Amino acid sequence: MDRRKLFGAGGAAGIVLAAGVVPDQAKAQDSMSVLDRIQRDKKVRITAEVDSPPFGILDSSGQPDGSEIATARQLAKDLGVDLEFVQVNATQRIPALLAGRADIAISSLSITTDRAKTIAFCSPHGALSIVVCGPKKTVITDAASMAGKRIALTRATLEEATVPKVAPKGTDIVFFDDIAATIQALLSGQVDAAGMSAFAAKSIADRNPGAAIENKFTVTTAYYSPVVRQADESLRHWIDTWVFVNSRNGVLAGIYEKYTGVALPPLPVI
Amino acid sequence: MGYVFQFGVVWDHRWDLLYGAWLTLRLAVAASVLGLLLACLVAYARQNAPRPVRAAAAAYVEFLRNTPLLVQLFVLYFSLPMLGLRLTADTAALIGLSLNFGAYGSEILRGGMLSIPQGQIEAARALGLSAWRIFRHVVLMPALNVAYPALASQFVLMMLGSSVVSAISATDLTAITNTLQSTTFRSFEFYFVATALYLAMALALRFALGLAYRVLFPPALRSGTA
Repeated sequence: MDRRKLFGAGGAAGIVLAAGVVPDQAKAQDSMSVLDRIQRDKKVRITAEVDSPPFGILDSSGQPDGSEIATARQLAKDLGVDLEFVQVNATQRIPALLAGRADIAISSLSITTDRAKTIAFCSPHGALSIVVCGPKKTVITDAASMAGKRIALTRATLEEATVPKVAPKGTDIVFFDDIAATIQALLSGQVDAAGMSAFAAKSIADRNPGAAIENKFTVTTAYYSPVVRQADESLRHWIDTWVFVNSRNGVLAGIYEKYTGVALPPLPVI
Repeated sequence: MGYVFQFGVVWDHRWDLLYGAWLTLRLAVAASVLGLLLACLVAYARQNAPRPVRAAAAAYVEFLRNTPLLVQLFVLYFSLPMLGLRLTADTAALIGLSLNFGAYGSEILRGGMLSIPQGQIEAARALGLSAWRIFRHVVLMPALNVAYPALASQFVLMMLGSSVVSAISATDLTAITNTLQSTTFRSFEFYFVATALYLAMALALRFALGLAYRVLFPPALRSGTA
């Protein structure tokens, strides 16, 4: 009986809490822009996805590190405010932004027209390729040869948006909530291959030489950018300016090369 | 300008969501049936089996009750392949939930069994009933009667807890909701609706289990064993 009461109360509280988030955010935006608020509070909150090498990882002392983390630190420094990381997994990157937990998402979010219906992309600051990778013994040479194979993908990623489109009928695609589970499925042999960024595939191959993970084929190359809520126009414009300046002065290229080991391709603007 | 709710896209995917709710219910019912059988066996073993079996049953219960379900699922799905046993995600989820329910259920059932007065069992023995008939009619059924409300509650808890199986890529309501929200980016809307579906399923389950209780254990029988 007591347990039942607890349930009722917990459920109701959850709904009220979730509903409360939205009006708060709306109020803040009526009075002043998020860019103004960031400068007034001297604090910007940026998403940190720390299980997605080389974009975000935890270093040996448990601190966030990686190309997107370094990008966020540089951006906060140039804004002249303190940086607060909001830890998210791949699935939470956009929800955390929409719920007002973060002001900016800098978590390797690739630019797609679908995503742009709910959030606003700034100009891209990096590029990545999606590959299908797997152990040597898995025979995959192109998209068509995925038929009959079990392929792991991570939800809310570019691979989820692109791999199913090229997969032939009979491909058994399974979805995981974060890249760590996808990697685990690949290494434990639960799947024949996995779709992920070329950097993630390289990092797995380097760290697990025994597993003999190799790239099978490249699915697509895409650009990723900082993301803000659609209403935050002034913040988006400031970030666009920041990307423009830092792609000219070589700062973005330096960060990209340091973490990915690859030269930054020329960046288009949005 | 705040966030504008758009439930139209949820409506477009209503059949996907209902299918997910069906998968969750099916998984929960299958796991509770298997788990209840296991719970009966374990509860019996802990009372009547030889000492080593009793110790093994106790170890199983304590291990399953004192480790997180999510980690148990990871072990079943990610670690067993290293030993050569490759389960599909849905099978691993079913086995994990059944083992988990079996552990909790056996403790609830054992509590019910301990509530049976020793004199009642001795009376049955004096009447010359076989050991199996004593266990079935004199111990198990009255114990189930006593433990039913707690078991029903555990069943609903397990149905709600089954939402973690999406972490090992098993398909259930949470997995389908996560896929839909990550492809449409309408996370608020989909999570609201999924929450409502879980709430509706929990309430419906409680109602159905209450009805089943009245059919399985009519009041006359209930007062007879009190």
